[in-house]
Amino acid sequence: MHDTEDMPVDVDFDEEEPSFSDPEDFEDDVDDEELLGDLLREKPQEADGIDSVVVVDNVPQVGPERLEKLKNVIHKIFSKFGKITNEFYPTVDGPEGLTKGYIFLEYGAPTQALEAVKNADGYKLDKQHTFRVNVFTDFDKYMSISDEWETPEKQPFKDFGNMRHWMEDPDCRDQYSVIYESGERTAIFNNDAKDPIVSEERARWTETYVRWSPKGTYLATFHQRGIALWGGEKFKQIQRFSHQGVSLIDFSPCERYVVTFSPLMDTKEDPQAIIIWDILTGQKKRGFHCESSAHWPIFKWSHDGKFFARMTQDTLSIYETPSMGLLDKKSLKISGIKDFSWSPGDNIIAFWVPEDKDIPARVTLMQLPSRQEIRVRNLFNVVDCKLHWQRQGDYLCVKVDRTPKGTQGVVTNFEIFRMREKQVPVDVVEMKGDPESKTAQRIKFAVLHGESPRINASFYHVKNNEMFDKQQANSIFWSPQGQFMVLAGLRSMNGALAFVDTSDCTMMNMVEHYMASDVEWDPTGRYLVTSVSWWSHKVDNAYWLWTFQGRLLQKNNKDRFCQLLWRPRPATLLTQDSIKVIKKDLKKYSKIFEQKDRLSQSKASRELVDKRRSMMEDYRTYREAALQQHHEQKIARLQLRGGVDTDELDSNTDDWEEETIEFFINEEIIPLGE
Amino acid sequence: MSYSCALQKPILLQGHERSITQIKYNREGDLIFSVAKDTVANVWYSVNGERLGTYNGHTGALWCVDCDWDTKNVLTGSADNSCRLWDCETGKQLAMLNTSSAVRTCGFDFSGNIIMFSTDKQMGYQCFLNYFDLRDPQQIEDNQPYLTVPCAESKITSAVWGPLGEFVIAGHENGEINQFSAKSGEVLKKVKEHNKQINDIQTSVDLTMVITASKDCSSKLFDSTTLDHIKSFKTERPVNSAAISPIMDHVVMGGGQEAMEVTTTSTRIGKFEARFFHAAYEEEFGRVKGHFGPINCVAFHPDGKSYSSGGEDGYTRIHHFDPQYFDFELEA
Repeated sequence: MHDTEDMPVDVDFDEEEPSFSDPEDFEDDVDDEELLGDLLREKPQEADGIDSVVVVDNVPQVGPERLEKLKNVIHKIFSKFGKITNEFYPTVDGPEGLTKGYIFLEYGAPTQALEAVKNADGYKLDKQHTFRVNVFTDFDKYMSISDEWETPEKQPFKDFGNMRHWMEDPDCRDQYSVIYESGERTAIFNNDAKDPIVSEERARWTETYVRWSPKGTYLATFHQRGIALWGGEKFKQIQRFSHQGVSLIDFSPCERYVVTFSPLMDTKEDPQAIIIWDILTGQKKRGFHCESSAHWPIFKWSHDGKFFARMTQDTLSIYETPSMGLLDKKSLKISGIKDFSWSPGDNIIAFWVPEDKDIPARVTLMQLPSRQEIRVRNLFNVVDCKLHWQRQGDYLCVKVDRTPKGTQGVVTNFEIFRMREKQVPVDVVEMKGDPESKTAQRIKFAVLHGESPRINASFYHVKNNEMFDKQQANSIFWSPQGQFMVLAGLRSMNGALAFVDTSDCTMMNMVEHYMASDVEWDPTGRYLVTSVSWWSHKVDNAYWLWTFQGRLLQKNNKDRFCQLLWRPRPATLLTQDSIKVIKKDLKKYSKIFEQKDRLSQSKASRELVDKRRSMMEDYRTYREAALQQHHEQKIARLQLRGGVDTDELDSNTDDWEEETIEFFINEEIIPLGE
Repeated sequence: MSYSCALQKPILLQGHERSITQIKYNREGDLIFSVAKDTVANVWYSVNGERLGTYNGHTGALWCVDCDWDTKNVLTGSADNSCRLWDCETGKQLAMLNTSSAVRTCGFDFSGNIIMFSTDKQMGYQCFLNYFDLRDPQQIEDNQPYLTVPCAESKITSAVWGPLGEFVIAGHENGEINQFSAKSGEVLKKVKEHNKQINDIQTSVDLTMVITASKDCSSKLFDSTTLDHIKSFKTERPVNSAAISPIMDHVVMGGGQEAMEVTTTSTRIGKFEARFFHAAYEEEFGRVKGHFGPINCVAFHPDGKSYSSGGEDGYTRIHHFDPQYFDFELEA
C-alpha cells in the first residue's frame, strides 16, 4: 500500500479544490453534550465525595511533632474499611498549633464510609479517647431540621370493619372453611341445617391449606412468600407476613402473636426458621433457630399469651411477651426433660423427667413467672408418661406406663393431680382390663379427659367396656361441650361412626361414612362434620353434616374436597348467672325457635316448588316445539320406512299378526293337603 | 329423597363371562341384545330373559351393537378390527367390514339402509367415521364406504344417528359433541358442554333429544337437531351410560369407576346403583341397587314400563317398575 503522499497527482483534477473551512463568523449549533456526551458524564461533579467523607471526633489533640504518629495510628484503624483517599487534620491557630480534635477522612466510596461509621464509632483508642464517627452528610441533615415542629403525617386508619361480624349472625350460624378442587378454591360457609350458605368464595386464596386463629378472628392462608391473615365481614386482608417457604404456623391463644416456621430460612448468623410476629402491627418480633419441625408447635404458649416456651435437649426455655426475651434472661436446665405442657387455665407448666440412675422419674408442676415448683411427684419404673390437662386446667392427668419390678409386661395407671385443692393432692387410678385393647384404654382415658368436676365418679362407674371393645374405632372425638363423643374408625376402618352419650354410656347411633378421613365438631357441639378428603382418597370427596346424636342432615359433595375447618368462637361474654337464667327459660326460647324453623322450612319448600314449576314450564315449552317439528317430519319418516308408520308402538297394528307363544316364566311348588 | 324404584325381583341375564359393554332393545322391545368383552353377542327375549341365540364370529372384545327398525339386521363392532352385519333371526353373518383399528360405536340410520361406525385412534391410525349404504352391495364387497370422515382432534367415543338419517351425532374423548353430515361428512354443528370424555349417547324414542353420559360425573340432555343444551344431571361419580324414558319425564343413569381405578376393595355388596332423575327438575328421586360392579350400559324398554342395565360384573338385569314409580311425583 502506498502512502498517499507519494501518489502521483491526478492530472485530470484541474478544478480548484473546494474550500472545506467554515466561514469566518460561523457558529455551529452542535452543543457539547452531543459531541462529547460520554466524556462529559465523567466530569467531576462538585458535590461528589461528600457522601464518602466521615468526621471522627474525640481524636487526641497533638502538636506537629507527634502529628505523623497520630496519622499513622488513624490510618491503621480506618483503612480497614476502605482506601482513604483524602484526609484533613484541622489545627488551631495555624499549622504550628494543636490539632482541633476532630478530623475528616474521605473514602473511595460511600459504602466504605458507612462501614467506618458502623464499626469505628465507639472505638476506644485509650482511656480518654473514644472515637465518635459520623458521615459528613449527617451534619447537614441534623442542621437543617427546622425549628418548627411538624406533626407527622397521619396514617389513614385502616378500617377492617367489625372483626367479630360473623358472631352477629341473627341465626347464630357457625362458619366453616372448605378447601376444594384440590386446593384451587376456598370457600367460607355459614352452617345451616338445611343447606350451607356461602359467605365468601375465592379461587387460589391459599396455596396449600388454611388455619383459623384460636378465637376465630382471623383466617390464615399459606403462600410461597409467607402467610396472610384475613378477617372482618368481607374477609379483607388484615396483615401479611413475609416468610419464604413457610410450612407451619401457630397462634398464641390471645391472638396477639403468630408463629411461622419455614425449613428454608435458617442461617447461623440470622436464625429465621421460626419467626414470631405481632399480629396487630405486623412487626417481626424475633427469629429462632429450629432443627426439626417434627413436633409442631415447637413453642407452647401459656393460656394468656404472656409466656411461650420450648424444650430442647436438657433445657426448657421460657420467654415472655412482649419483649420476646428469656424469662430471667436464662433457660432452665432440666436434665433429661422429656415433655412439658402448659395448664389451659393458669400459668403453670407440667413437665416430666425419666429415671436417672438412682433418682426416680418425676412429674413437676412449676408456677410462672416465679418458677416455684408447687408440686413434685416421684414415679417408679416408668417406661413412658403422657400429660393431659382437663379443659379448664382443674385437673392434670398423667398417663403412666410402667414395668413393675419382676414383671415383663407394661402396666398403665393414671395419676390425677387435683389442681384446685391445696397442695395439689394426687389420685392414682389403676387401669382395669387388658392394656392391649387400645379401645378400652382410650375410653377410660377419654372419660377422664372430658368430664368436670365429676371425674372420679364417672371413672369408677364406667361399666360398659365390653360394648365399646367391639367397636371399629381408632379415634375419639369429644364434643367441645363435653358429655357427647364420637368413636370413629377412620381411613382404613371404612368410616364407622359411633355416637355416644357418656352421661349414661349409651350408644345413641351407629352409622357409617364410607372412607371418612376426618371428623370435626362445630364449636357449639351441636353439629358434627365427617369428611372424605381428596388428600387421602381420590373418590367420593364430600363432607357430611350430622346432629350430635348421629342423625344425618346433609351430604355435600364437592369436587376434590380437601379440608373443612370450623371457625372457632371466642369465649362467651355471658356470666355464669346469665347462663343459668337462659337455661331456666329454655322452654320459652325453644318455642320461638321452633316457630322460626317451621316458617323457614315452608319458605324453602315454597321456593323449591316455585323453582320446579318454572323449570317444568320451560321444559314443556321446549317439548311442544320439538314435538311440533317431529310432527312436521312425519312424511319424511314414512318415506324412509317404506310407508310403515312406526311413530307409536301400536301405530301399525293393521300389519300385525297375532301369534301365541308359551314362555316359561316361573315354577312354583304347591303342596296339596296332608 | 331417594327410594328404590323397582322392588320386584329383576330378571337376570347370565350369558357373558366378562363385562357387558352395550345393551340394546329392538324397536318393539321384545328382544334385547347384549355384547361384552368376551367376544360374544347375545340376543334374549325381554319378557322372561330366555336366550334366543348368539352371533358367533368375532375374535375380540365387542364394543357396540345395534338393530335396525324392522329387527331384520344386527350390527356389531369389535376390537378385532371388524364391523359385522348379521341376520337377526338366523344368526348368519351377512358381511364383514375390516378396519385398521377397533370399532368403537356403530348404528343403523332411521331407514335401516345406511350404517355408520367409528374406529379408534390406535397403532398409528387415527379415528375415522365410516358410512356404508347397504343398498349398494359393491360397497360391502369392496369394503369401500361411500364416505369416510377423519377425526384428527379427539376420537369419537360414542355416536347415534339424527332423526332423519341426515347426520350422525358423535360424542368425543374431550367432551365435544359434533354433528357429522351423512352426505358430505362436514361438521354441521358442534358444542362443548362436557369437559371430560363422553362415555355414551342415546336418543329419546322419538329421536328429538339425545342424552349424554360423561366421565365428568354429569349427564346432559340436548336437542338432536339444534344441539341446544336443555338439562344437566349431576352426580359425584363418572357416568357410563344414560337413557331417556319413553313415557315419563325421567332419565336413568348408570356409572361408577372401572375396577382397576378403585384403589380399595369395597366391602359393600351390590353397591353400584342406577339413578333416576326427574328430567325437568334435574333432581334425583330414586335408585336401584344390585350390580356388583360399575354399570356400563342402561336402556329403557320402548314401552317405558321396564329398564335394563348391563354391568362390569357380566350380568344384565331387567327391572320392571312398581306401580308407585308411575305415580311418583315431586311436589310442584
